[in-house]
Amino acid sequence: MINSWTRARLLRSMAAASLAMGLHCGAAAQVAAFERPQDGVYADHIDWGLTADLSGPASAAQLPYHNGFQSAVRTFNDKGGTNGRKINVLAEDTRYDATAERIAYEKFVSQTPTLGTSGMGNSNAQVALLPLIKREKLPVLGTYASARAAIEPANPYFYGGFCGFREMAQVGVGFFTDHLKLAQPKVAVVHLDVASGKEYAAHIEAAVGARGGVTKAMPIKVVAADATPQVLEILAMKPDFVAIHGVPTTAILVMKAMQQYGIDVPTFAITYLGTPGVYQSLGPQIGKSYYFVSCFSPASSDEKAAADLSAAADKNGFSASKDDINFVAGWVAGQLVTEALAKAGPEPTRESLTAMLNGGFELDTHGLSSPLKYTPDNHAGLQVLKPFAYDYETKKFKTFGDYKDFEKYLK
Amino acid sequence: MLPQFLFSGLALGSIYGLVALGFAVIYKATHVFNFAQGMLMVCGAYLAVTATTQLALPFYLAAPFILAGAALIGALVYVLLVKPLTGRPLLPVIMTTIALSIILRSLIEILYGVSPRSLATPLPTGSFLIGGVRFSELHVTAAAVSWVCMALFAGFFRFSRAGLLMRATADSFEAAVLSGVNVNRINAGAWAVGTMLAAVAGVFLGQLQLASVELENIGLLALPAVVIGGLQSIPGAVLGGVLVGLIEQLASGYVSPKARDIFIYGLLLLVLLIRPWGLFGQRELGRV
Repeated sequence: MINSWTRARLLRSMAAASLAMGLHCGAAAQVAAFERPQDGVYADHIDWGLTADLSGPASAAQLPYHNGFQSAVRTFNDKGGTNGRKINVLAEDTRYDATAERIAYEKFVSQTPTLGTSGMGNSNAQVALLPLIKREKLPVLGTYASARAAIEPANPYFYGGFCGFREMAQVGVGFFTDHLKLAQPKVAVVHLDVASGKEYAAHIEAAVGARGGVTKAMPIKVVAADATPQVLEILAMKPDFVAIHGVPTTAILVMKAMQQYGIDVPTFAITYLGTPGVYQSLGPQIGKSYYFVSCFSPASSDEKAAADLSAAADKNGFSASKDDINFVAGWVAGQLVTEALAKAGPEPTRESLTAMLNGGFELDTHGLSSPLKYTPDNHAGLQVLKPFAYDYETKKFKTFGDYKDFEKYLK
Repeated sequence: MLPQFLFSGLALGSIYGLVALGFAVIYKATHVFNFAQGMLMVCGAYLAVTATTQLALPFYLAAPFILAGAALIGALVYVLLVKPLTGRPLLPVIMTTIALSIILRSLIEILYGVSPRSLATPLPTGSFLIGGVRFSELHVTAAAVSWVCMALFAGFFRFSRAGLLMRATADSFEAAVLSGVNVNRINAGAWAVGTMLAAVAGVFLGQLQLASVELENIGLLALPAVVIGGLQSIPGAVLGGVLVGLIEQLASGYVSPKARDIFIYGLLLLVLLIRPWGLFGQRELGRV
């Protein structure tokens, strides 16, 4: 027999349970409403693709980039993610291979759908994949390199995330011409005998030609054991400064050979070669003449966001690579993705994300890079660079001004 | 410029000659065309990283550490991979050395990371001028060490008992076995010697640039060197290496860096077509 007190308590419990169930179902319905598995969007997470060379010929540069990207996303997830969803990075090792890049992109389109993808650090693959990207409409956001064909004209599904070769050439030539007070600079360009190397040499020639100067391009092989032929040409030319395009080994070979042949002229390299490893290998005697131009500020710089990056790298087990410029590039690309997803709203889809980015987007990296901005006509992202050198006493990178000081060199 | 190119070609070629000599020693003893020779050279560079950077050994201790480590690797490769394949056709043995090369590359990347490492050895880095030709001290040291190594090993093969047994085993495996020679020990010794030679070259190439698995591509230039010189010829391997170094410098300097491969591999094709036993090798004659 049930007494009145028990009956009342039973009724209260049932009412409470009904209310709780109702609230739960309502909340679940609210979250579940925006699941879009075909776009990699789920109730509690968003799948995002990342392709990089993690074990191939470009892995020395792209593995730190991958680590920086993962570090930024983990930091974002630790803070709660966006609209109740965390970002799940699906990383693919493409070994600097265009075919592997295509397989990964197609996988992200339909097999393991993602909302977008980043990395794609092989410019040849970018050019080859452009028709596929336009057809499948999976946005590529924050690339490790930007092929000219991918960003000129602006492609609604492609957004660069690295400094451009033309800007590297213009800022490097402009800075050294002014710094050395030259009227008509004479510049030697040592470059890899590949498409991007020739493109870079042409940009240097244009920048130097605009100042009435002359250049000489000196190709070198990526697997060269020695840079004597190039350095003998430099010796004969007697340039005011040298520009280097290549891999870290290229810079080390050329700089060491120049020292052996008694050549001591300022030399600046492309962004990818601004690593502590290169400076350590050169040593202070040779390294004092070695500069690089970059749209990213190294973690050891005095920029205010560098401390956050450094702390996150330590926390996520990436301390060893945090002062690598490529780690910073990955961190900025990771921030770009998290910020874009946060702004894409509670119902993100590939279509809405693309529309939001294409309408214009800006990221404040708090000094870790030059201003990153996309407009409907320009998807390059990072435009301005500045020169850096290395202080062997403090073991920190040093710079020569703010990014805005070097805007004047860009045409 | 010509004397400068000749000097740097000679210096680089001496390093190639070391790798090629190691290759020839292994081939002569065990008839294995070792595609892992380039990666064994890379092992030498990374043994130097371990000795000088990780263990912080002084160079007089680092040098024997590198040589002993390389000898151990070479002997282990023979005992674990080559010896079990004795008597098998050529293809499985070649595939084994290719697989070994891939495994070594991955092991190095796991143990040391994918980023290249700089070597901190006390090898000289300056230069001096004689008669208008600038000599890099590192190049001179590399060439001198290479030629001393080659002379030592030439003496070893000619005058020592172990060297005599190695040559005897290489000439006739069956006769050596019947004479009571421990051919497995001799062959393991040949692999140890071949790997040590490659390791010395790896240290110099690592010092010239960086210790990196990509050095394998440079080490593999020993393959055309040894074929051009003569697979069975010890002096041929050395001279083949020097020839490859000279061609590389002259082609890069006077034509284009890409022309290097055309000239080197063009010569290789020419030698294979006209004199397949190599410039310094001996034609093998068989009785019918």
